[in-house]
Amino acid sequence: MIETYLQRSRETAKPFFDELAAPEGVVREHWKKLAHAYDELGIEKMEHRSREIGQELRDNGVTYNVYSDPDGINRPWKLDPVPMVFSQQEWENIERGLAQRAELLNLILSDIYGERKLIKEGFIPFEMVFTHKGFLRQADKIKIPGKFQLIQYSADLVRGPAGKIWVLHDRTDAPSGAGYTLENRAAMTRVFPDLIRENQVRKISSYYQTLKNTLTKLALQNKENPRVVLLSPGTANETYFEHAYLASSLGFTLAFGQDLTVSDGYVWLKTLRGLEKVDVIVRRVDDIYCDPLEFLGDSHLGVVGLMEAVRQKKVTIINPLGCRILENPGLMAFLPRLSRHLLNEELILPSVATWWCGHEKEKKYVLDNLPFLIIRSIYRSNENVPYVGSELSKKQIDELRKEINTRPYLYVAQEFVSFSTTPSLIENNLEACNAVFRSYIVADMDKQAYHVMPGGLSRSFPAKGDFIISNQSGGISKDTWVLGPSPVNETKPAVNQPILRQVKNILPSRTGESLFWLGRYLDRAVSNVRMMRIVLKIYNERDDEIHPESDQTLVILLKSLSALTGTLPGFTAPDQSKLRQPEQELLSLAVDTSRPGSLAQSLQSFLTNGYAVRDRLSLDTWRILDSISEEFELMKDNGNDLRKIYHNLDQFIIKLMAFIGLNNDNMTRASSWRLLNIGRFLESSVNTCTILQATLANNVTPDVEKQLMELVLMCNESLVTYRYLYRSTLQLPGVLNLLLINEDNPKSVAFLISKIDEHLNHLPYSHTDEGLSPAHKKLLEALTMIRLCDVNKMVAPGDNAPNKKELSRFLSHLIVLLGQASTIIFESYFSPTQSQYSFVKSNNALPEL
Amino acid sequence: MKYRITHITRYEYQLPASLCHNLVYQVPVNHSFQEVEKVHYQIEPEPHFLVTREDFFNNKFIYFSIEEFHKKLSVEIKSEVKIAEPVWINAIPKNTMPWENVVSWLRSTEAENDIRQFYLESDHVVFIPGIQDYVLESFTPGRPIMEAMLDLNSRIFNDFDFTPGFTDVSTKLEEVFLHRKGVCQDFAHFTLACLRSIGLSARYVSGYIETLPPPGKPKLFGSDASHAWIALYIPTVGWTEFDATNNLLVNDRHIRTAIGRDFADVVPLKGIVYSGAGQRMFVNVDVSRVE
Repeated sequence: MIETYLQRSRETAKPFFDELAAPEGVVREHWKKLAHAYDELGIEKMEHRSREIGQELRDNGVTYNVYSDPDGINRPWKLDPVPMVFSQQEWENIERGLAQRAELLNLILSDIYGERKLIKEGFIPFEMVFTHKGFLRQADKIKIPGKFQLIQYSADLVRGPAGKIWVLHDRTDAPSGAGYTLENRAAMTRVFPDLIRENQVRKISSYYQTLKNTLTKLALQNKENPRVVLLSPGTANETYFEHAYLASSLGFTLAFGQDLTVSDGYVWLKTLRGLEKVDVIVRRVDDIYCDPLEFLGDSHLGVVGLMEAVRQKKVTIINPLGCRILENPGLMAFLPRLSRHLLNEELILPSVATWWCGHEKEKKYVLDNLPFLIIRSIYRSNENVPYVGSELSKKQIDELRKEINTRPYLYVAQEFVSFSTTPSLIENNLEACNAVFRSYIVADMDKQAYHVMPGGLSRSFPAKGDFIISNQSGGISKDTWVLGPSPVNETKPAVNQPILRQVKNILPSRTGESLFWLGRYLDRAVSNVRMMRIVLKIYNERDDEIHPESDQTLVILLKSLSALTGTLPGFTAPDQSKLRQPEQELLSLAVDTSRPGSLAQSLQSFLTNGYAVRDRLSLDTWRILDSISEEFELMKDNGNDLRKIYHNLDQFIIKLMAFIGLNNDNMTRASSWRLLNIGRFLESSVNTCTILQATLANNVTPDVEKQLMELVLMCNESLVTYRYLYRSTLQLPGVLNLLLINEDNPKSVAFLISKIDEHLNHLPYSHTDEGLSPAHKKLLEALTMIRLCDVNKMVAPGDNAPNKKELSRFLSHLIVLLGQASTIIFESYFSPTQSQYSFVKSNNALPEL
Repeated sequence: MKYRITHITRYEYQLPASLCHNLVYQVPVNHSFQEVEKVHYQIEPEPHFLVTREDFFNNKFIYFSIEEFHKKLSVEIKSEVKIAEPVWINAIPKNTMPWENVVSWLRSTEAENDIRQFYLESDHVVFIPGIQDYVLESFTPGRPIMEAMLDLNSRIFNDFDFTPGFTDVSTKLEEVFLHRKGVCQDFAHFTLACLRSIGLSARYVSGYIETLPPPGKPKLFGSDASHAWIALYIPTVGWTEFDATNNLLVNDRHIRTAIGRDFADVVPLKGIVYSGAGQRMFVNVDVSRVE
């Protein structure tokens, strides 16, 4: 396998440096062990391992989102089994270079938001800073105590044709990928434990320990036991997976902007228990989205008043707002001189050759060489896509030239670098792909120095020489192996490591809300699947046309389905056309995600809410959630075949039950678990009442009633219990007793209501000074109604004709009470939704003269 | 000249708001010829949290938040300000530096960044097509900068119609230039774009102007409004203020509250409110001469 790779490398005259193959066509020294191991494994086993890695990542739910693609949500993360490898010797240089660069950028940052001497003395051109949107004037003169202002830093590195390492980008605002790096390593360790051991691959855990230690030490208040939250833009963000993953692996609370509020100059987390002070915010929200009052007025991702809380020194934001100024690629052109001036050192890692157009000489060079350069805006954003000079038409070149002449200081040009190639496993072959390596650096507060992760996130790309790279544009990730023994001081914990007391388990209100809905949709999906399965079973058994007059059982079941899913009129419509030909309506109820009440929508909502609380669910729970998601995709593909859908329904039941079982088994009995169950039991009790009302509160013949009773018991998974308890033929009072009243039956409505009541007792603020809370009162009323009712009397045959009106009224009343209880619970724990309005945007009239 | 200024802003929400955070840029500050004798502010309902601060451009601003349900918000700022005659009144326009020399001086190391930052584009002040042609009619080669500026000021005054309601905060400068209509902010932004497009440093000034009642009629309280004009940097004279809306070289009837790159830096009252629906705003300004 390796020989083929070497041979191809010898044959193709490439401008690229290859990571594995030396120019003379032999394996480089630090790759030898690996190359040998790959040869021993052979391509088939490599493919097999690759699939294992894929499975491992899928099992762990490692995903990312793509903005531009409607189906781009939760794409599986891809990892190449072949890592990027650095030798011990080379790494020492890279590590020193990265730490030096972080030191340098930190000094520049402190100056830009401090005295601005570097600008006054001409080391940094003034326009390059003052026209950059990352220069936040609101953050001027704000300092974190101590020398570090730049806390987290990432540099994207590439290797040029001569083998030299270059810095391609500096990422200083909210660098991403450290969570994926950790998952990559975990998957590789599972699949290649031997290779990692034999090659002495350095551990990366020290980075995460340092990060955690640093973040806790940056608290300005409450230093003993600081609260750190990770601020995420939300579940739709491209790297949401790792926000949740990092938060839970570092032991921080995951929060969205709406979970936080600023009051009295402090930042607070809205929790079920009320407000909890926040000391440190690690943000994954971009700078100007963080506070709509001071920056983008229409941002809904931030926290109003956050900047003022920073000015009040009540909260520390990491990285501090304003750090984005360092991402300005124009700065690269000035770093060598800045390094000599500020550090008295030569810059160890060079940047990709960069020309800032704000100076006349450089501008002229750039304009004369446009077709051979990459032109970037100094400000990176989704709109500012880099121009690849060689791909521009004559007209585009002219337009660009004009733009550069008008606003020269907004542009830089960079040399077109050919990235080195590294072997990647692609379709049964080791192919040479271009690679970029992202490093992770964090300030170590104990050592007062920057800590460089011995590893990182590499990405490789089949399109050779591709300059513009990010996960948004595809590519496969690679683990990064730094070889060699760990330095002695790395494995030892830092001397002053504080013993972190367990932070009280807090539940943001928004997370609580999602858990409540997760429970509701979970049991809604279960009820819907069960009911639909019964309907399809009866329907699929038929082979002739339906006659609504004679097929009473099926008609009642179809109507019940409409009632249960809340998709009225549906089958209950007076014209009966859907009853005669139910297929389309059934398909729509199963797979139409845009239809409120459909099974597809319930499942979708279940998955969405599950996704929003993924930091609260165990790994195994994740696997189940993912398999439900896969089954859901399968069902949607079966969109026009009821028999296949029937099979999907069977699978759903098993998987949904597994989800419930696992949560009962391993979720701690905290508020989160109780809210999930309150949601489930409310939904379940209402559904049972709805089904009973739609099926058994009809005046039908004894035969039909018997059939319906059997099906309802089946639907409720209670047929066996019934037979065991009554050992007799089905009778309505018995069925109602079992499903409504019998508190020994965990499926009965009375049992469910008493459970809701019990869970509610354990939530904060469930008691008031005036006795029972309003929610408790509603539940008690419902429970008492059931306990006091006499089913025999209620459904006793009237004068000859059986009368079900009273039963129907009784069930309606129960449904109303449960609905009211649900509303009260919801409103007392989750804040009602209010929109955010900005004064300036909403009123059009300017103050006039 | 001494003035008493009252600036009242009221918001009425359609539905009660649970929370609002605000920034107020309505507090006059001292200048060489402007002396603030008294400032008093009253906010209702009473804020939970209030702090006054200085911003990047040395303006004073108030940050406050109200954290209880409220249906109305009222911000009232009262101040007494003494204005002396500005130094530029005695400058002789034809003796000022040729404007091109100012442009090159601004690019030399001698010029402070605090001055240079105002020749750059900003959110509302952009180099729209055709603007250089417009400004160069006044800024002819070698012309003394102040003389050229006075000419530009009166051309804008004559070419543009003061038309309340035609523009709002989101109107682009292109629209203003195309239709030649707008309010004082638009006049100021357009003037700034003209000057910066040829490389001069000019900044946005927000504040008030004393208006005089029609002859023979008494002045009505609250009939004034906030105002905006510009300041151009002229070496040896300093920041010199021009009001294109009124075709004036600013004298002692303008009271300044804040300076910035454009309106966005000095929005008089900026707020984010959490409420179920929108809101209505009422503004009342009065500038009266005390002595």
